[in-house]
Amino acid sequence: MGIVFTRLFSSVFGNREARILVLGLDNAGKTTILYRLQMGEVVSTIPTIGFNVETVQYNNIKFQVWDLGGQTSIRPYWRCYFPNTQAIIYVVDSSDTDRLVTAKEEFHAILEEDELKGAVVLVYANKQDLPGALDDAAITESLELHKIKSRQWAIFKTSAIKGEGLFEGLDWLSNTLKSGSS
Amino acid sequence: MFSLFYGLWKYVFTKDEFRVLILGVDKAGKTTLLEKLKSMYLKGEGLPPDRVVPTVGLNIGRIEDAKAKLVFWDLGGQVGLRTIWEKYYEEAHAIMYVIDAATASSFEDSKSALEKVIHHEHLRGAPLLIVANKQDLPGAIDDEELAKFLHQELDERPYTFQAVSAYDGRGIKSGIDWLVEQMEKSKRTETLQARAGVPGQI
Repeated sequence: MGIVFTRLFSSVFGNREARILVLGLDNAGKTTILYRLQMGEVVSTIPTIGFNVETVQYNNIKFQVWDLGGQTSIRPYWRCYFPNTQAIIYVVDSSDTDRLVTAKEEFHAILEEDELKGAVVLVYANKQDLPGALDDAAITESLELHKIKSRQWAIFKTSAIKGEGLFEGLDWLSNTLKSGSS
Repeated sequence: MFSLFYGLWKYVFTKDEFRVLILGVDKAGKTTLLEKLKSMYLKGEGLPPDRVVPTVGLNIGRIEDAKAKLVFWDLGGQVGLRTIWEKYYEEAHAIMYVIDAATASSFEDSKSALEKVIHHEHLRGAPLLIVANKQDLPGAIDDEELAKFLHQELDERPYTFQAVSAYDGRGIKSGIDWLVEQMEKSKRTETLQARAGVPGQI
């Protein structure tokens, strides 16, 4: 009975939970983004070995955000976290043009994973505060986002340091998860 | 014998799946239209218009009517993002081109963007539904006036104009019915079906 009321309550007040994975190459800014979203401030981070997980409440959605370390040696372990994921936030260092090809390859490898078939994709073109950072159209092109045809995606220009663009991305994410189509 | 019946069964009961691209310049109302479509055909789903934010990427809607399954691809319309439109052309059965009929200052931009869409070789023969959107607003021009403005741009493909309000839903159903009918008899559909089964979708 209690469970019925809980369900009713959450359907009336729109409280939902969503499991989100934050992925991307090392030094893309994943951990900075996670704590910017969670605490609203910039923390100094060290390279993540393993993962950080935090809950972010936004737009009546409780986002459980998993930030997984991005170094080459630990990327194979991302897979362990794939089941039951509703969305992927893929973070790119827009100023690191040398590694965009690697970023693209990792990205498309992730999308081919069976367990992530239903997840929507949000791309953060991060580090827009740095000189020489490519804009959203250029990152779209280099990541070949247009190859995604059977799931929803969006890209946002962000600066985790300045706090720009992050919540616009979450707005899109909460809309997309609520309208629940794909 | 079994396969004969199975084939017949499939022929009678399997619905065709069509992919429709929703294009148009930014602020035309593409995503609002998609959300309205979802709420009309899927009952209860779909975002209210005030929650829609500018699209920078791809929104997808899947609906089913009596005859067919439809997949809508709604792409962002801002100038910098229009380059990705053409990446979706080859696999699309038809186009819904949305125009904000209440904002005269957007017409020229709409017209030139439409021209590019029409002349792209990957969209050859694709049926085109031109949506005169925002009929709920005062001062919106109707489908006939819009047709006068755009008529010289169009080629021999099947096309029609439809007055629509993505806000209250008027005109949407007849537009979709026209699209389905056109796609069912379109040569392009045959060509796409012949190519179907080619992997590469992710």
